[in-house]
Amino acid sequence: MSTPLATGSIWTFDAIGTSWAIETAHSLPSVARDAVSTLIERFDSEWSRFRDDSLVSSLAEGRIASVPAPQDADAMFSLYRELDAATSGAVNPLVGDALARLGYDARLTLAPWGAPQPAPTWSDVLTWDDDHVRVTVPATIDVGALGKGRLVDLVLDAVRSHVDGDAVVDASGDLAVRGAPVRVGLEHPYDPTRAIGVVTVADQSLCASAINRRAWGDGLHHVLDARTGAPVRAYAATWALAETAMRADALATALFFDGGPELAASWNAEWVRMRTDGRVEWSPGFSGEIFS
Amino acid sequence: MIRTTAVPRPVRIGTALLGVAGIATLAGCAGGATTGDAAPADTAAPAASSAPATTSGNAAGGSTASGTYKDGEYEATGQYATPESVETIDVTLTIAGDTVTAVKVTGDPQAAESKRYQGEFIGGIQSEVVGKKLDEISVSKVAGSSLTSGGFNKAVDSIKSEAKA
Repeated sequence: MSTPLATGSIWTFDAIGTSWAIETAHSLPSVARDAVSTLIERFDSEWSRFRDDSLVSSLAEGRIASVPAPQDADAMFSLYRELDAATSGAVNPLVGDALARLGYDARLTLAPWGAPQPAPTWSDVLTWDDDHVRVTVPATIDVGALGKGRLVDLVLDAVRSHVDGDAVVDASGDLAVRGAPVRVGLEHPYDPTRAIGVVTVADQSLCASAINRRAWGDGLHHVLDARTGAPVRAYAATWALAETAMRADALATALFFDGGPELAASWNAEWVRMRTDGRVEWSPGFSGEIFS
Repeated sequence: MIRTTAVPRPVRIGTALLGVAGIATLAGCAGGATTGDAAPADTAAPAASSAPATTSGNAAGGSTASGTYKDGEYEATGQYATPESVETIDVTLTIAGDTVTAVKVTGDPQAAESKRYQGEFIGGIQSEVVGKKLDEISVSKVAGSSLTSGGFNKAVDSIKSEAKA
């Protein structure tokens, strides 16, 4: 669905379980591609709960109670605090065990082990400072609410340190744009051949989240309410625009819950969300178009 | 949740009304997002203070349809409690050929908090959005849920084949 920027180049690859496309006005030199690959590998080895050798897996399995703090820990956990407060606890970085319980585990069992269970109160369990991330009991960190957005920001910075001009980093659902604006269709969560609206993204990020693809059974998908450990049912898809992809990603997650629109207002961010009954809501002053 | 698209139309009407109950939940600032979901239709019934009443008839009495519902506009009033007061919402459904073609929700917020929710934080609500075909609109990107790759797709495939076996 993507068309190249005028005279530009596209580099596509798979990473962290999804497809990526990086479009630049000038072709990316191999040193830039190597830098991006190294960056993604570093982030994945720290934060992926799907890898045995990651830092979060070592904390989850109780092999160790403290790990050296990854460089993104403070930025991400600090934003989680805002998400937690805005959604009254619905968004929680220790939701990993609740996801695994429903089958979305490191082995991709995709069959529930038991009834949903709430995530632990993360402020009791997880602490971090400049040097370390610690857990008081084994617990699975899952930064799915904003982690991919953070990685998109890091990749965009790496790309722009090597090439000038227009750039788009598209991590399939999370999109960062610099330079020439990009017109983006908002995919209908029940029909990927349709769009429910369109928005122009200029020097900002658009992140989308929906319950239709990372789904594996009757009402089972990857967006959980941490307070119950059960998948959300009120909203089917969300979209948010923000200055950084991490904030847009975080907001797209928060919009599945009460409190999301208030958080967006406090960040002065635009958004759209679709309920599971097909109705669509959007932010005051939304600059895009919603189709009827 | 993809199943929602396959739900028979009469049930869809139920979920449209439940969506209103969802707004009520939002406005009431109650609990989790799961409370406003499309669940058993009877959860909406207690909230409705007046039975649906057929009103206007620009579509003359279901002339073509042999379906379950007569064409026309249906109106219902629902109430919900907020921490400050009891709020009222009017819902008008337009039905043609057994399909809901329009949903209009009119709020009459009395509590300050409800006014805030319906005005300050949510700019608009559109009834069921069908959308447009991607080839009818000129876009260079499409944003939806992340594509799944590799292991996840294989795992889903193996579950499907086990289910068939």
